[in-house]
Amino acid sequence: MKQLFRQLTAMVISCCFITAAQATTPEEDLKAFQNFYKKRFPNVETTDYINGAYSIDPVGRENWEAIEEFPPYEPFIDEGQAIWEKPFANGKTFKDCFPDGPALGGKYPRWEKEKSMVMTLPLALNNCLEANGEKPMKYKKGPINDILSYIAFESRGQITNVEIPTDDPGALAAYESGKKFYYTRRGQLNFACAHCHLQNAGMILRTEILSPALGHTTHFPVYRSKWGTVGTLHRRFTGCNKQVRAKPFKAHGEEYRNLEYFLTYMSNGLPLNGPGARK
Amino acid sequence: MHKKSVLFSSLLVWILGSGLATTSMADEASAEKVKQLIEAADEARKQAASVNGEWRDTGKMIKKAKELLKKGDFVAAAKLANKAAKQGHLGYEQAMSQKDLKMPSYLHYE
Repeated sequence: MKQLFRQLTAMVISCCFITAAQATTPEEDLKAFQNFYKKRFPNVETTDYINGAYSIDPVGRENWEAIEEFPPYEPFIDEGQAIWEKPFANGKTFKDCFPDGPALGGKYPRWEKEKSMVMTLPLALNNCLEANGEKPMKYKKGPINDILSYIAFESRGQITNVEIPTDDPGALAAYESGKKFYYTRRGQLNFACAHCHLQNAGMILRTEILSPALGHTTHFPVYRSKWGTVGTLHRRFTGCNKQVRAKPFKAHGEEYRNLEYFLTYMSNGLPLNGPGARK
Repeated sequence: MHKKSVLFSSLLVWILGSGLATTSMADEASAEKVKQLIEAADEARKQAASVNGEWRDTGKMIKKAKELLKKGDFVAAAKLANKAAKQGHLGYEQAMSQKDLKMPSYLHYE
């Protein structure tokens, strides 16, 4: 009996060592992630990844640069500014919730210790609306894209700097959950996010070049020609999941919030350049 | 002559009646069977969803199978329900196989 107990104890300890040996820190993940692209596309400057597939597709880039001369997202920025400044029914405005002004992009997503959850910008905006007795905005389409376009425009040039506080294990757990989501196969096509945007970045899928994941979060919201309007990051997550034939999750639900937390962390050090324009 | 025609009519009524009754009973049996298949498919879908493994079209297939059942197209409804159940089972198995994080070997940690 004692021998069995000893053997079991040894097994448990060795299992822990295996787990510990496999566990990596966010900093190590970030380094491995960004180094992957450096090796894969040695001629691309790291900061150029903020331009998505156009950082690795010279022909597409020419077209995109022509589009950027008359940006299709401009009317959304103007509309967003109007929403930002328009008083709520109680006379307050978004500025009362966000006293530092609309250049908020670099502050989100972030870990909120009090709520023990990842707070995203759209969720914070809706919290502000609800706290002031207003109806929250829908998360994928409609006015949320206007105000996000305005905020993204005002935040241009800020550096992505997602922090994972070490004083709250919940933050690391949320990051790990987002990471797990990113590398998990799902849907009928059995694809993980990483299969398209990490392993096969730069490859052609039908007529499209698969964009690198590095820089994915810097340019949202995005005017997509396919949508004919501006759309949010979580709308894009939904689209990606549908494309691999998986049932998408709720926008700004826990799964996608944690995914955004991980994915944005992977772009730490890159400047924000939203709103963007894409095919 | 009259006796013959009464006998013939009675026979005809009996044949038609029993035929209709058989068809109706068969329909009920099929409807019940398909209903069970749809319920099983929905259970499988829910099991996959419980581990975040539901596939995109499973729910739609179940909805469509229910519509076909209402229309009386039992064969098509059963086929779709079976397909949905298979998706549910595969979605669950897939999620279970992905329970632990597996980092890709092409990511190099120094």
